[in-house]
Amino acid sequence: MTSILDSLNFINRLKMGEVQSDHEMTVVPLIGELRSNIAPPESLEFTRTTSYGSMEFKNTSREEPAIIPANMMVRGKAAQDHAMSGSGVVLAASDRLFDNACCVESSQGGHFHGQAVETDVLPVDLRKALLPVSARNKREFGKLWPSIKTWLRKFKNFSTVSRAHLRDFFDDKDYKEALEDFAAAFEPVDGQIGALILFNGVPVGLEIMPSAQHWEAYWKWLIRGCYGSQLIQLRESGDLERSTLVLPNISNDTPAEEVKNIMEQFVHNIRMSMAPMLEQIQISKATEVDSIGNITTQLLTTEGGGGGDLITQNNEPVYLSIVL
Amino acid sequence: MILDSGILQFIPKGAYYEGKDEQFANVKDTWDRLLAYDRVLFALLTLLNGSGFSKGMISHMLLSNPIDNGTGTDLIPAGLDDEFEKNVIMYNLHKIASEDSMPRAIKNLLILAGSDSNAKRVNNSKTRKIILEFIFNRDNRELDALAVNYKSKLAKLVRHAVGKQDIYKILNNNKKLFTKLIGRYNRHALPVVLFLFNHGGLQKDKVQGYFPLIDAYLDLKQASIMGNPTAFKRIMKKLPWRTVIGFRNTYKLDIDKAEILGTSKMSDKDKMQTQTAQKRAGAKTVRKVNYERQDIYDLWKLLYNKVLNNDASELDKIREAIDTNHEKIEKMEFEDVAIVIDFSHSMRGSKERPLHPILTALSLLSCFNFKTIHTVGGKDAIVENTPYGATVPSGSSPLWRGLIDAVLSNAKTIVVISDGYENAVSGMFNHVYQHFKESGHVFDLLEINPVYSADAKGGTARSLVEGGTPLPVTNYKHLETEFIFRKMLDHTEMVKHLLLSRYQKLIGGR
Repeated sequence: MTSILDSLNFINRLKMGEVQSDHEMTVVPLIGELRSNIAPPESLEFTRTTSYGSMEFKNTSREEPAIIPANMMVRGKAAQDHAMSGSGVVLAASDRLFDNACCVESSQGGHFHGQAVETDVLPVDLRKALLPVSARNKREFGKLWPSIKTWLRKFKNFSTVSRAHLRDFFDDKDYKEALEDFAAAFEPVDGQIGALILFNGVPVGLEIMPSAQHWEAYWKWLIRGCYGSQLIQLRESGDLERSTLVLPNISNDTPAEEVKNIMEQFVHNIRMSMAPMLEQIQISKATEVDSIGNITTQLLTTEGGGGGDLITQNNEPVYLSIVL
Repeated sequence: MILDSGILQFIPKGAYYEGKDEQFANVKDTWDRLLAYDRVLFALLTLLNGSGFSKGMISHMLLSNPIDNGTGTDLIPAGLDDEFEKNVIMYNLHKIASEDSMPRAIKNLLILAGSDSNAKRVNNSKTRKIILEFIFNRDNRELDALAVNYKSKLAKLVRHAVGKQDIYKILNNNKKLFTKLIGRYNRHALPVVLFLFNHGGLQKDKVQGYFPLIDAYLDLKQASIMGNPTAFKRIMKKLPWRTVIGFRNTYKLDIDKAEILGTSKMSDKDKMQTQTAQKRAGAKTVRKVNYERQDIYDLWKLLYNKVLNNDASELDKIREAIDTNHEKIEKMEFEDVAIVIDFSHSMRGSKERPLHPILTALSLLSCFNFKTIHTVGGKDAIVENTPYGATVPSGSSPLWRGLIDAVLSNAKTIVVISDGYENAVSGMFNHVYQHFKESGHVFDLLEINPVYSADAKGGTARSLVEGGTPLPVTNYKHLETEFIFRKMLDHTEMVKHLLLSRYQKLIGGR
């Protein structure tokens, strides 16, 4: 068993930004530069689903491979919504078909062939359901339906739902608004390439992108679709107590200059308390799941049933996405 | 019903966090409720400063829901006659057009004709009169320019207002019908109608003298058809650049775009907006603009555009003009003002309207005599090898730091310009604010929010403090509108009286 800091030397090269917190969710920005040779996010396009359980992507960059964020989900009209079973790599100037993808809208027919799609990353629990290598590699488009139903049934509105339509949640007016609130509560900071995400002070995810440009492009999918949706579900099912950071007491006779010191110290202390959280993330297993060009994808398993993808390029880590 | 002036300032361009459809559904619901609550007030409010889009949609609602003349009770208490709403709508159209936004005025008429936005067409006598009066009740010089600039749009409008059959009759020389429907506004306008509908019977010699731009338009078209670049270049100097580019592209003429952008007719605003295009097209110098005559918002926009494109040209003049215009703008009467500006990432605005929140915030600075400014977040963008740059929205929003700095400056009024989202850490602004209020620090907090928010707890803007009521201001010129709105629901009759007396001559009635 090794600490993630030891096994992934690149985390040591990152520094923590100012902590952002809204109610139960806290996001600690990770700032740095990985110097990867990965295509910019705008080079990657989801092009179509060729059959149920297949997703095709195009990389328009002529020089660099592109990374598809782990468990990326697309939703659109008149077609079965789909999600990736993990991350993906598409070589420069090429297309790649992933035939182990999941349908996430059980009774909707039709394929995507260029129409507009909404994009997110799957909620934390559904990402966890795809962590076993056997589940990830299985070519069975309905493999996530039982987990989707279970996930949806924890909401009062969907407690008796019989279909695995993840969009029922994402299209719901109230939940949609709550998800936007999550996105609104957090903002990328200069040089940010990743984040440690916590619910009520407990880490639930660690995300690191190849560059600040990638974080800028994908952070909303993560905060909204992956962590925001999971937090709403946990709140509604009563599995997470409503709480918020307790702000420091300031007595009435405190001079204004001192108020500033108190608040700065408070913010500093929060940040300092987050650092050991990273050390507590323990990797118990690493399995290679894909290798293409100079890029290798490993599926990491963490203590406590979490895990996710680590992508390395010429043996240097360039992407990490794990749920805990 | 919680109301603020956000309902008059709405423009469907989305925000960083919200799509335009979500916002529109929300504001439409408020408009519906206000119309049901007090129709006269609903119409009168549009006399205040607001966005052209909001005024267009409100006009559509008034015209598509005719006044109940059965009882006539809608208007009698205010002493108004049937024409009052028409007068209000006409006033708004002319005001929008005179504020350098003729395209918006035309769009508002197209909303009525069912050709713009998703609103249903309105086909009643009052609507038809409004369309025709707006287009034709003007002198020949104005009508000439209008017809050439908006030819196809005007044709749609006239067809809607006159009807297909009657247009056919007018085009075929039914002078009596022309006089009844259009000639009553401008007896010389027949050639314009013929021009709008490409009628073959248009005799150029009859047009000349009355409508020289139409004449030039027809000459340019002829030169294009004949593929005569010499004639084209000679005529294009008389015509608006969009028309000229249109002919060049349609007829595939080998004429340098830079030459068109450099010589055809262009307003100062267009000259500013096309500076990047002029350079891209190969122009060595951009067309001269009198920057000091431009709106400060447009100047800030141009400055950011240039900085972000690493273009140093004219930056010194633009900066000078911003300073000059800043001095000219009338200041609100507040004492010892400190301003806190949110430069966090979300102040970048939406894709449809990039940087709008921060450009509005910077323009709003000119409405105050401030002692200090405290910026929160942001990063510097510098034009290479120059001392010029700008602060670009970036990062989180620890606005509490700005508040403490403002309190330390001993300001009596603290103006916070922010979209109302706080994350580093959420609630800290309110925490610090409540502390200062409870511990005897005397200052007024004025929150101004340049971003429409469909999910605000009250009104149309989010607040940073518990029970706060920010001023929603998406255009710095509308600050006064919001102050009037503040008094509205508690003092409906007073506001109606105020508006009626202010615009008595315009809207008629006793």
